[in-house]
Amino acid sequence: MRMLKSWRVRMALFLAVVGPGFITASVDNDAGGIATYSVAGAQFGYTLLWTMIPITVALVIIQEMSSRMGAVTGKGLSDLIREEFGLRATFLLMIALFVTNFFNVVSEFAGVASSFELFGVSKYIVVPLAAFIVWAIVVHGTYSTVEKVFLSASLFYVAYIVSGVLAHPDWKAAALSTLTRPESIGFRNYGYLSMIIGLAGTTIAPWMQFYLQASIVEKGVTARQYAASRLDVIVGCLFAAIVAWFIVVACAATLHSIGKFNIETGADAAQALRPLAGEYAYLLFAVGLFNASLFAASILPISTAYAVCEGLGLESGLDKRFEEAPAFYWLYTALIVFGAGVVLIPRFPLFRVMVLSQVANGVLLPFVLIFVLLLINDRELMGDHVNSRAFNVIAWVTVVVMIVLTVLMVLTQR
Amino acid sequence: MSVVALSELLGATVRDVSGTVRGRVREIAIAPQDHPTRIAFLIVKTPSGERVLPPEAITSAGASVRAANDAAQWDRFAPSDGLLLLKRDLLDQQIIDIHGRKVVRVNDVELESTPVNSHLLINVVAVDVGARGAVRRLSKGLVPSFTLRALLARIPPRVIPWEFVDLLETDPARRVKLKIAYKGLSQLHPADIADIVEDLAPAERESVFETLDEDVAAEALEEIDPDIQVSIVESLDRDRAADIVEEMDPDAAADLLGDMTEKQSDEILQEMEPEERQEVTQLLEFGERTAAGRMTTEFIAVADTATVDDAIEALKTFEGSREALATIYLTGPAQKLVGAVPLVKIAVSSPTARLSELSEPYIACAPDTPQNEVAALFDKYNLITLAVVDEHGRMSGIITADDVITMLRHKD
Repeated sequence: MRMLKSWRVRMALFLAVVGPGFITASVDNDAGGIATYSVAGAQFGYTLLWTMIPITVALVIIQEMSSRMGAVTGKGLSDLIREEFGLRATFLLMIALFVTNFFNVVSEFAGVASSFELFGVSKYIVVPLAAFIVWAIVVHGTYSTVEKVFLSASLFYVAYIVSGVLAHPDWKAAALSTLTRPESIGFRNYGYLSMIIGLAGTTIAPWMQFYLQASIVEKGVTARQYAASRLDVIVGCLFAAIVAWFIVVACAATLHSIGKFNIETGADAAQALRPLAGEYAYLLFAVGLFNASLFAASILPISTAYAVCEGLGLESGLDKRFEEAPAFYWLYTALIVFGAGVVLIPRFPLFRVMVLSQVANGVLLPFVLIFVLLLINDRELMGDHVNSRAFNVIAWVTVVVMIVLTVLMVLTQR
Repeated sequence: MSVVALSELLGATVRDVSGTVRGRVREIAIAPQDHPTRIAFLIVKTPSGERVLPPEAITSAGASVRAANDAAQWDRFAPSDGLLLLKRDLLDQQIIDIHGRKVVRVNDVELESTPVNSHLLINVVAVDVGARGAVRRLSKGLVPSFTLRALLARIPPRVIPWEFVDLLETDPARRVKLKIAYKGLSQLHPADIADIVEDLAPAERESVFETLDEDVAAEALEEIDPDIQVSIVESLDRDRAADIVEEMDPDAAADLLGDMTEKQSDEILQEMEPEERQEVTQLLEFGERTAAGRMTTEFIAVADTATVDDAIEALKTFEGSREALATIYLTGPAQKLVGAVPLVKIAVSSPTARLSELSEPYIACAPDTPQNEVAALFDKYNLITLAVVDEHGRMSGIITADDVITMLRHKD
């Protein structure tokens, strides 16, 4: 009995910790991410696969810092920025975050719309329905049920792995170009370079830092249970990277090999896959796109509402009622209603908005990452959990490279 | 007498007696050992380092500060642990709003300056947690001051008087030096304390539970979400944790210890008084989702030969929870349960009446009864308490209605 109990406690501890890191990394493969990976595969075949390993490392390093900060301080990122850098800096950052994330929400609903247009369903039906589902799941669920829904949604990403397999890629070539950079194409090629920048840029978005840290706090993870959370972050990032790898491989094996390079979105990719990889691959790709967009659309508004309210000292939290935290629920509702509403405007330039959302992310990211690095090295805040010197070198290099790549991405956007 | 905001004073230019600008206000310090609300001094940033300017040497304080003496007389500032620095320790930080019973973030601090003889007395009077303080700070230096004043006058104030503010300080040594106690918080209802504590960061929760009175801490802890309960108790040192757990209802204590690892719960049990330890250990043996897991062992039982007077005597010496008082149980030979008398009947009967005459048929269940059957019994018989009896018909404990409500609300 006692044995059983302690085993159960341990299991519960493990399950209690797996979650936020996994969810955050999965949502990273949102509509914009899928589009970028598809285009990368279609245009450059297997030759960009080598970027997956460094990108995953960068993702792990940055996500690990956010979750460590959440576990040690028990406070959200915007809380900490407010306490250490004052109201004015926080206010400006929150406005920027709100605007940026609004564009992101729009691009997710655009993803929802385009995935269902593949099945011939009008966006005027799908988008309002999706918006309502998103709103209801979060407002009417408690954190634990919401998280269960999200965790199960993460598993839908397996769809991409399956459609990657159905595309019958050349496994050996794919594996080889993952481990070493093929010499056949050089950095002087402008398209190749800007694709690398695009891949790195879609991988780390500002909202992720806020969302991950807030979920770690909401879950009550403490410094002592932190080892399990770090595992969660690493496993999550690996899973996300594997999914991304399969998307690139699927498009490389089919679209690239017959010379069909000119696709722009995930829906284009799904459409183009149909005659090449068969009905199932097409179906899975489209369903995957829908799930990814809906998933990200559920997380972005809530994470934004949390961050803004925390930073500005307004009541927040899903465990509060509407009357207790009006600003929180209004921000949340407004992001969904207007985010979905914009997509419904006839002849709205959806693709431009997707690009714009990437630009906004890129502009905001440097500020967020620098705040993260300053905070995590504050010994008064983090105690012994500050970055070690070696980690700091890697983290600063990663952050600087990410910033340079993202700024380049913003500058090279059409 | 005039009110000045901390954000107006910070950065204000400081002129000495000759009218020359000597520096700017960088911080404002209170020395809580000397006076809980009075400003001890301003810290002025001058070209020759940080200087101290006490209110006794200030003739006016507002958008600019005027000193009554020469800058050469201002002492050099020496940092000390015993100082509460308003910008560093209060502005943008979280505090407990005792009146509103929640955790809020400070947007600004209101100070009141009173001219006394030829100098000023400056006191902290309130913290601003509303839009007014936020707008003042955001527009400082961007909007002309008269426009700003007109604008601010239109925003309804949301301030918390200083006496209803409890500061959060996680460093115990500093807490003592700054004389920070959770005085206001400990006066609140335990359920409100629990809500506030749930909103805090782990280190802050720990500091609250290190400082609160043991019985207040125990009552508040019972109301807190089980996961947070465990993390709080884990963070406290063993003695302190045991002291608090002892004061908890045995059933709540058993639930809490049952959620911890065996090693941790054993360590706490070892530090507890033998009597309480035994009660809790017994409860721990039962499954959490059975009648025995939900029951408390603190109840009132008297011999069936006793009178109303005896029952009142037993009520007076009873130390368990108030909910358990609703029913007085009667035991016959060999401690067997034979009857139950509702508290109401005791109140309306003569002191010499025999309890056995007032007794009503009792409802009881076995220790291993599943908790949903327990809830069904409460529903069917409209119970306030339910006796739990062992295989020999002896009472092991009782379940009270509040436990059932908690159980039904957390059914998963």
